[in-house]
Amino acid sequence: MTLRLGRHEFDDDRTLMMAIVNRTPDSFYDKGATWAEDKAFDRVAQVVDEGAEMVDIGGIKAAPGEEIDEVEEKRRVVDFVARIRAAYPSLVISVDTWRASVGDAVCEAGADVLNDAWGGADPALVDVAAKHDVALICTHTGGAVPRTRPYRVEYDDVVRSAIDDTVAYAERALAAGVARESLVIDPAHDFGKNTFHSLEITRRLGEMVATGWPVLVSLSNKDFVGESLDLPVGERLTGTLAATAVCALAGARIYRVHEVVETRQVVDMVNTIVGRRLPARAIRGLQ
Amino acid sequence: MTRVVLVPGALALLPEYASQVDPVAELRAAALAAVRWLGPEAAVLGDTQGERVAAALMGAAGVRRGGTAAYLVVGNGSAKRSEKAPGHLDERSFGFDAALGDALVAGDLSGVDWSLADELWASVDGLRRASPLVSGSAAVDYADDPYGVQYWVMRWGS
Repeated sequence: MTLRLGRHEFDDDRTLMMAIVNRTPDSFYDKGATWAEDKAFDRVAQVVDEGAEMVDIGGIKAAPGEEIDEVEEKRRVVDFVARIRAAYPSLVISVDTWRASVGDAVCEAGADVLNDAWGGADPALVDVAAKHDVALICTHTGGAVPRTRPYRVEYDDVVRSAIDDTVAYAERALAAGVARESLVIDPAHDFGKNTFHSLEITRRLGEMVATGWPVLVSLSNKDFVGESLDLPVGERLTGTLAATAVCALAGARIYRVHEVVETRQVVDMVNTIVGRRLPARAIRGLQ
Repeated sequence: MTRVVLVPGALALLPEYASQVDPVAELRAAALAAVRWLGPEAAVLGDTQGERVAAALMGAAGVRRGGTAAYLVVGNGSAKRSEKAPGHLDERSFGFDAALGDALVAGDLSGVDWSLADELWASVDGLRRASPLVSGSAAVDYADDPYGVQYWVMRWGS
């Protein structure tokens, strides 16, 4: 099935790079590097140049911290979305928010995707996605409240939980009027999960792909990589790319990333090995 | 008059070795146009790999295998024409290919010295068998060595 993200359509054999652009002063990886709007705009220009098909704009960091109300969240993202929309008509604009009111405002400003990283915390978000005919990312958090860390969370079967919850969320969105070809599921590594959970999700990602819903993975520089390799933020690229390769092998479609070029190469290489993608240009031994 | 076409046995012409960007696009276009020119059916002269290349091109061009009115010959010159060539550089390639090319263009292979062909990795099985069929000057649609292998696409007959 063709994937439709707002104004944009992608064939089944396409994989997509969704570049993270934070409008936050305190996100874990960039630590406010794109807090200033012009810096964030420069980041968009950079990732477009690097070949990203999508950007994911976030106004609130995922971890606990200063309370950001919806007025402030809108202040951070709405006009910025409008500015990107005007400058990059063919770029898919996603906004990372769980709030329906923010979702409504960014869709008015030109967003194509609502990335609900907190798994349906605001039940009205599906109605906003339907109203604007945009795509919705349905994530699994195990019921975690937005901006909380997991504490002694356990699952009978984390993959079963991720499949059941994300598919149920997608079905709920479908019933609310969101187009089937505009729904994506995301197991949400590290959200409501310890490292062992995220590793198992990675190892068994093929089970999520087998649901038939397109799968997004967000692995970039996360703690499960850091804890696996005992490496701090800033030294997790290689581990991230290894996890990326495993997810690509399983058939993930969208990759939410800090590093576009490296991830694109890994995903393309894996898909070429698997036979889902042709080599760019092969002549060696075939002359 | 019997129509005869020569194409090289480059495996890059096979669909199972397709890339996103065709490394032999110009060669492929010339080869397909020439194969179409053969008419509805043609016999094939080539070695085992050459037969596969012929089948792929004929399939793409909509030409059936058979008959004696037209022939598709698969063969090429040396594969040692540069340091990056499959067989590395052998300076003798240039003289060999020039002589073979001239003979092909003239439509007279009777004087070709085939003795160096194996050493220079030239693919000439089909060419030697085609010798009695080729007469008159050839139309040269393609002559180049983009990867250190001498390719020709030529047509004889009218």
